[in-house]
Amino acid sequence: MLNTILKYTGLFILLIAIQVLLMNNIQFSGFVNPYIYILFILLLPFEASSWLILILSFITGFVIDLTSGNMGLHISATVFAGFLRPYVLNLVSPHEGYEQGDLPGLKAYGFRWFITYILIIVFFHHLTLFYLEVFRFEYFFRTLLRVLLSTGFTVLFIIIIQAIVIRR
Amino acid sequence: MRNLLNFLKKFGNVLLFVLLEAIAFYLLASKPNYHSIKLSKTLDATSAFVHEKVNHATDYFSLNEINEQLLSENRELRNAMQRIYRNSEISTFSVTDSIYKQQYIYIQARAVNNSVNKQKNYITLNKGILSGVRKDMAVTGPEGIVGIIVEVGRNYSLVMSALNLDFRLSARLSKNGYFGSLTWDGADINHLNLSEIPHHVDVSVGDIVETTGYSAVFPEGITVGTISEFDVSGGDFYDIKVKLSTQFRKLNNVYVVVNLKKEEQLELETEIRGTR
Repeated sequence: MLNTILKYTGLFILLIAIQVLLMNNIQFSGFVNPYIYILFILLLPFEASSWLILILSFITGFVIDLTSGNMGLHISATVFAGFLRPYVLNLVSPHEGYEQGDLPGLKAYGFRWFITYILIIVFFHHLTLFYLEVFRFEYFFRTLLRVLLSTGFTVLFIIIIQAIVIRR
Repeated sequence: MRNLLNFLKKFGNVLLFVLLEAIAFYLLASKPNYHSIKLSKTLDATSAFVHEKVNHATDYFSLNEINEQLLSENRELRNAMQRIYRNSEISTFSVTDSIYKQQYIYIQARAVNNSVNKQKNYITLNKGILSGVRKDMAVTGPEGIVGIIVEVGRNYSLVMSALNLDFRLSARLSKNGYFGSLTWDGADINHLNLSEIPHHVDVSVGDIVETTGYSAVFPEGITVGTISEFDVSGGDFYDIKVKLSTQFRKLNNVYVVVNLKKEEQLELETEIRGTR
């Protein structure tokens, strides 16, 4: 138990650091803003209860908000993503169901399963985030383009991070 | 009682979700966004400190460019001085008239944190209340406008960059004085949109756009940029794209503009509005 907590604390700090030091400095005409910190919520164990996920989502969003200046923005998007997680896991579950003690990572149930799982959650997270950030319908399609492009890059970076950094 | 427990078991996470989202929206709606000052002073100090250190290191790489900027600004200033000297040679005059009292003071500051990739971009400066920076002051760079101070801490202040969907500024064409309203549409970090310039006005590509000074925030005549393209939209007004003269990506040295007569102007304006 303590081991798990330590492991996730390490993961949390690592992801926040990558987000703040690397990802926030990507300046590609404002259309590509990957938010990879969401991987923390995605990687929580299968048996984590939904209220725990919600609380952790809140804390993650709060920490990211502290570094970005728009208080509440990342909280709402991340809490929404955390809320969706159990439903999405249900939706994409393999025939034999999930095994206890597994992590919903890249190696758990194959590449296709992982891609579908993170793609759905990252998309909804970015959708909430970017529309809340703009908070007007004026630039609807441009915002949608930002959502799609950023989702693509976030998923790409998440896979890279999964493949290189976290070998568990 | 059991029903209540069952209900909580079933919908507890939905209730928690709604509660957390409510908190998030409350935070989102409570303006000024200076996270750090309101919520955690220590974190602000550390993050600004880290940014400043990083900035300090990366500064050396752009020293050439910064020098270039400052040199060209110096040149402009020398030119302006030259004109003044020549005038005073023709007729020496000493001024005690209140008209000639100094209206603006410039405080030099450095951008220690800056973003251009969001829809609402903010810049952190390394000067705060202790250096005389206050809310609603204008910020300019060596090349043109930068933004407006929205929050101040003791040693740092937060600037709403011109690259922010909430940014509004009145600006005019320097050649004929027609003014319109300047906004950013969130698409291109090198261009702002100038609207409300009527059709009959003579507009051409390359015209200089500058601030008006109507708002008591920006001094008159600070460069915004040049017109890069314009379009006759459906209504009675032009759609004008202004190429910014300030390079927001490379922002470094900026000036906070203190308007010494702002109080007086605002007082007068509210007085007039009050009697109407």
